[in-house]
Amino acid sequence: MAGSNMKAIKRRIKSVESTMQITKAMELVSSSKLRHAKERAEQTVPYFNLLYQTMSEIASEAAGFHSVYTELRETGAALLIVMAGDRGLAGGFNLNVFRMADARIRELEAKGREVILMTIGKKAAEHYAKFPNRVLAHFEGIGDSVTTYTTLNMAEKILRLFQEGHLALVEIFFTNLVSPLLQEARRMTAIPVPNMENAGGVRSLTHYEPSPEAVFDNLIPKYLSGILFCTIVDTYASEQAARRMAMENASDNAQEMIDDLSLRYNRARQAAITQELTEIVGGANAQN
Amino acid sequence: MTLFQLQIMTPEKVFFDGNVQRIIVRTTEGDIGVLAKHEKYVACLPAGPLRVITEDGTETIAALSGGILKISPEQTVILANAAEWAQDIDVDHAKRSEEDARKRREQSKTQHELDRAEAKLQRALNRLRVSSMTK
Repeated sequence: MAGSNMKAIKRRIKSVESTMQITKAMELVSSSKLRHAKERAEQTVPYFNLLYQTMSEIASEAAGFHSVYTELRETGAALLIVMAGDRGLAGGFNLNVFRMADARIRELEAKGREVILMTIGKKAAEHYAKFPNRVLAHFEGIGDSVTTYTTLNMAEKILRLFQEGHLALVEIFFTNLVSPLLQEARRMTAIPVPNMENAGGVRSLTHYEPSPEAVFDNLIPKYLSGILFCTIVDTYASEQAARRMAMENASDNAQEMIDDLSLRYNRARQAAITQELTEIVGGANAQN
Repeated sequence: MTLFQLQIMTPEKVFFDGNVQRIIVRTTEGDIGVLAKHEKYVACLPAGPLRVITEDGTETIAALSGGILKISPEQTVILANAAEWAQDIDVDHAKRSEEDARKRREQSKTQHELDRAEAKLQRALNRLRVSSMTK
């Protein structure tokens, strides 16, 4: 009896060990992908910072500055861009951003705004599959391969809808990699461009050609593309960090289970030996 | 000659960062030359050539595919959608995208498609023009 028990425990230890090998491997893969994604995110920072700085300079300095991209329209739909991962097994990573986006959808609809969606990542498509007519566009498998060409194309499509008067608001739901141990779902308003108030009266010493407004409008597609690129890469990095953490926990749990099972295995072995000894001693005593 | 710092940035990387004597760049209003101590200036750039006269007086040419030029007392920056040095341009690739752009221009049905094809054609032609400037 003890023997069969020992066999079963041994089998379980083996199975947990092989699971642990997988979680360990996934953990390593995620760490290396995370490092790669972080590098990519950092490369775009100088370009994007300067772009944004130029835009806010124009908005605050140019006398009588006015742009359709900085004012909230009364009519038109809200476009929510929801970014999630292509795969699960990453703890609460996908759920957190959906919870935030869903709450916002209800809020906007309560105010009577039409909501349309753009989803990025397979998990986002699955989550919003229940409203197929709301989803304007979907992208997946782009987290690790996204380029600024892809995002510029996306940005141009969005801006065309905006220029035609269909859109009033563009918001992005993404996950921000605060640190490798902390990822936070965030909402960001892309259009109307936030923090672009005209300081008024300040005389600009900068010469803009052809005009401040033309330069500003010229920068808008690049700005939107830059935001999309940064948030996609940020979300991808967060996904990897979340998965790395989830897999680290899984490996720890597996190790704990192995320790526990090994203890039970040893106990069973001891019990079997004790029983055998008792039987031998008992048998010898009976003969005398 | 007084030098000034020029930075050329694309979304992918910092393409160039160094001291130069002079640059000549195409803006939407025409070609302009920039020397050190230029006034504060911002201009839109279409796809066009950029000549950089570096510290030692040698001239190098790059193809820019649109962006903006921003001159402030601290630095001169070009934010380009893409940038390539003339000698690095893949001529065959540029020719292929030229043909592709012409085809698309013929087939375009909406104004938007036409604009995009036109912009693509200008980028391809610019790259071909710039790459022939070095020979």
